[in-house]
Amino acid sequence: MSTTSTSAFPNPLSIATPEGCEGWEEMYPYYTLLGEDRREADEQRLWFWNSMHFPEPMSAFDVVAIDGPYYALANWQNRVFAIPPAMGIDYRIVNGYVFITPNAVTDPELIAERAAFFGARAGHYFANWDELYGRWREKMGKLIAEITELEVPELRTYEEDSVAFEDRDTSFVRVLDAYNRALRMHEQMWQHHFEFLLLGYGAYLTFSDFCKSALPEIPDQHIAQMVSGIDVLLFRPDTELRHLARLARDAGVDASFSNGRAPEEIVAELGRSEAGRGWLEALEAVKDPWFNMGSGDGFYHHHRSWLDDPSIPFSAIRGHIDALAEGRDTERPTEHLAAERNRLAAEYGALLDEQARGTFNELLGLSRTVFPYVEEHKFFCEYWFQSRFFNKIREFGGLLAKHGFLHDGEDVFQLSRHEVGEALEELVLTWAHGGPPRGPHHWPPIVERRRALLERLKQWSPPPAMGTMPTEAINDPISVMLWGITPERLRSWASAMGGDSLTLSGAAASPGVAEGLARVVRDVHEITDVQPGEILVSTVTSPAWAPIFPKIRAAVTDIGGIMSHAAIVCREYGLPAVVGTGRATAEIRTGQRLRVDGTTGVVTLLEDEPE
Amino acid sequence: MIGCARTLAQLRAQDEESFGGKSTSLGELIAAGIPVPPGFAISTAAFEAFLAAGGLGARVEAILADLDPDDVAAVAAAAAAIALEMRRTPVPDTVAAEVERHYAELAGASRKGQPPVAVRSSARGEDSAEATFAGQQETYLWVRGGEGVCEAIRGCWISLYSPEAIAYRARMAAAGAVAAMGVAVQLMVDAEVSGVMFTCSPLTGDPSVVAINASWGLGLGVVGGEVTPDDFLISKVSREVLRATIADKQVEYVPDPGGRGTHRVAVDESRRTVACLDDERLSGLVETARAVERHFGSRQDVEWAIARTGSFPENLFVLQSRPVTATAKAGSEAVADRSGLDAMSLVLGTFGVRPRKD
Repeated sequence: MSTTSTSAFPNPLSIATPEGCEGWEEMYPYYTLLGEDRREADEQRLWFWNSMHFPEPMSAFDVVAIDGPYYALANWQNRVFAIPPAMGIDYRIVNGYVFITPNAVTDPELIAERAAFFGARAGHYFANWDELYGRWREKMGKLIAEITELEVPELRTYEEDSVAFEDRDTSFVRVLDAYNRALRMHEQMWQHHFEFLLLGYGAYLTFSDFCKSALPEIPDQHIAQMVSGIDVLLFRPDTELRHLARLARDAGVDASFSNGRAPEEIVAELGRSEAGRGWLEALEAVKDPWFNMGSGDGFYHHHRSWLDDPSIPFSAIRGHIDALAEGRDTERPTEHLAAERNRLAAEYGALLDEQARGTFNELLGLSRTVFPYVEEHKFFCEYWFQSRFFNKIREFGGLLAKHGFLHDGEDVFQLSRHEVGEALEELVLTWAHGGPPRGPHHWPPIVERRRALLERLKQWSPPPAMGTMPTEAINDPISVMLWGITPERLRSWASAMGGDSLTLSGAAASPGVAEGLARVVRDVHEITDVQPGEILVSTVTSPAWAPIFPKIRAAVTDIGGIMSHAAIVCREYGLPAVVGTGRATAEIRTGQRLRVDGTTGVVTLLEDEPE
Repeated sequence: MIGCARTLAQLRAQDEESFGGKSTSLGELIAAGIPVPPGFAISTAAFEAFLAAGGLGARVEAILADLDPDDVAAVAAAAAAIALEMRRTPVPDTVAAEVERHYAELAGASRKGQPPVAVRSSARGEDSAEATFAGQQETYLWVRGGEGVCEAIRGCWISLYSPEAIAYRARMAAAGAVAAMGVAVQLMVDAEVSGVMFTCSPLTGDPSVVAINASWGLGLGVVGGEVTPDDFLISKVSREVLRATIADKQVEYVPDPGGRGTHRVAVDESRRTVACLDDERLSGLVETARAVERHFGSRQDVEWAIARTGSFPENLFVLQSRPVTATAKAGSEAVADRSGLDAMSLVLGTFGVRPRKD
């Protein structure tokens, strides 16, 4: 049976497998797939493509980065804080892409029951925020150290003496234990990640709602500006790059950064002069911790840190050197930002009557208390920890490759976390007993097939949503805040679905109007293709992309609200931005001329096809 | 009649009883440093002198005696009869002399022989229902010469006896409603663009924005609702244009080629769908709106014009300002619901815990 109501979005179970992608389901756990047994329930729900976190098809191993956050989000939201109207996020994988839907609580009695838990538990966090956040940073620091130091044992012909004489565990135990510990630490990281996030967002959302009821015309970006931190940890890595650029000029070694040079070449050349060596020392001094910044959002194994892939920081340094050469100030105008933040708060406060002003100031204070966490956690979790975690899995891949189970260590990411466990189990077994392993015959063809599948799945454009439009307003603060999923947004996506219209609408995230040629970026590795003066069109952006913003003229994203990173960074740089358009990367081609109106939230496609 | 006229700059709020609301509010604006076209005001005493001269008052009383306010035909006939009587009665010489003297002063200051002026009625209690019914809206534009001004002043007085005003006062007689009116005379601004602005959102009452309606030419078109104006909503805090709707502005009022009165013409094609204000002018208007609001300490409805000559912002003038009374206080209920609560209860409310007010 199909659903009773009509929907502008496709029926989840009627979405066809793209040609040549048959069998894609083998990469994913059974519970992530749509099926006849859940047809009725799944058709009735609205699933939206989480292109914010998962813009590309998932490799088999990277499913850890779906499960990890969604275990943690739901566990805190539903079972710890018992947020009254919202349980957790459910997800399905279709053609390799992740679609999500919030599970709501609608029974008023149950909501009341949950409210009692929530009040006490959330109250505790808000009342002790700074102290608890201090402890949080300590435990994250420990976890990062632990994953970094985790030993992936070598499998030697003869165990070391310590096993024989000092009661040390044998290698099979240590290999399997290390792998399980790596997975456990990954889960703990996500646990930490969501401990404060929901409450932080909630406090912000409350302030935002209050502003909008007292001042109905207030632009969203002014609300954000009043709350956003100035001395934000996430801007620090880019700030360090600016300093390095200035230092390179001052030391007269800026010529080494000429266009098209690989980081290794630059480093090699710098190593040959005294001034260059001085610069390299300065670079080393800031690498820990700032080069733990990621190049992506940490949801994919190929989102490497700057330490692992220095091409992004080096290209950013070069951009900053160019800007300095042209006499442009590349420093973040922190004083100006701080003054503007305080001016906005004072002026809006002054427009309210005394009682409303009291509430406004109290909520603003609370939002500013919680917001550092909201802004900073990514550095510790998504970038620093995740890059170390995926590197650790690479070490296990290396171990499997060394023993012929894989052609290359990197192939490990084509196996699910359970398959990697299985492969390691066979490896330690056959290594121990010396008999012939099946793994070297079993795994490589699977890896090859999946690589090809993923390449083909990348060509597919997922719809922004599937299933049935909800009749009631979405009541999940996280969906609204993080994904910008409001009833209005869903309606505009729905109307864009059928249309051949030349405009896309989204949230007006950063004011101003700009015209230029589009650069569609669907994969983090393509960001180095962005040319000066282009308009960035992407599924989503992350703080890791900050270095390219000085180059671009405007930004358009498929998903995200006014607090999304593209929005924040564009406001910083004074670039127009429209976020949450639903289909920008599907509708727009690189080279097409666009007009981006960040004040009204409209993107106009000025030419049908690139010239 | 000495003292029945005074320059606008001398008037303050406490003079309303004698000069009416419009004139005194213009005086207040001038005192606050807001650019207002110079001019003078005629007191209600001048009107009383007019009625006293030659027994006009008694004849008007007679016409109104025993009038049934619900008899539409009778009220209309009475209005016509009074208008006729009044037109036959010249403005008293003492008043006319004062008008001539002030007009000559204006002419001297503007260095024009017979500068065009606007003549507007200035009723007491401008924002009361009485003022609305009493025909306070009467306005004569592009009037020239002392004699012309006197004629226009008489026109304002006659408007006190419109059928609506007569019927209204007859019903309110018991409450002591009496006819009384001042008049404001100001140098005319030959407006390239004009309009009205609210120092809050007219729809939501949001005090953080200025709403501006603007169209080409003199303000008649916008005030009278004859053109759909360009509609701008601007943040007071950042000066950003939050919304702009550019209308197809088909007609505009311009000074009559004969030098007296105004004339309605079609807007030429090239300007019809073009925004009639740019960012600089919008920003200047917002600044002026905020200054007016600050001065009066309440939300204002401001009529303004930008002259064809001179450079911005020196050519921006405020023509009048009134308190805004009719808008909703921003989200008043929602705000009142929340304002009494501490931040924590509100945050819990975001997560679905219904707030309780103790």
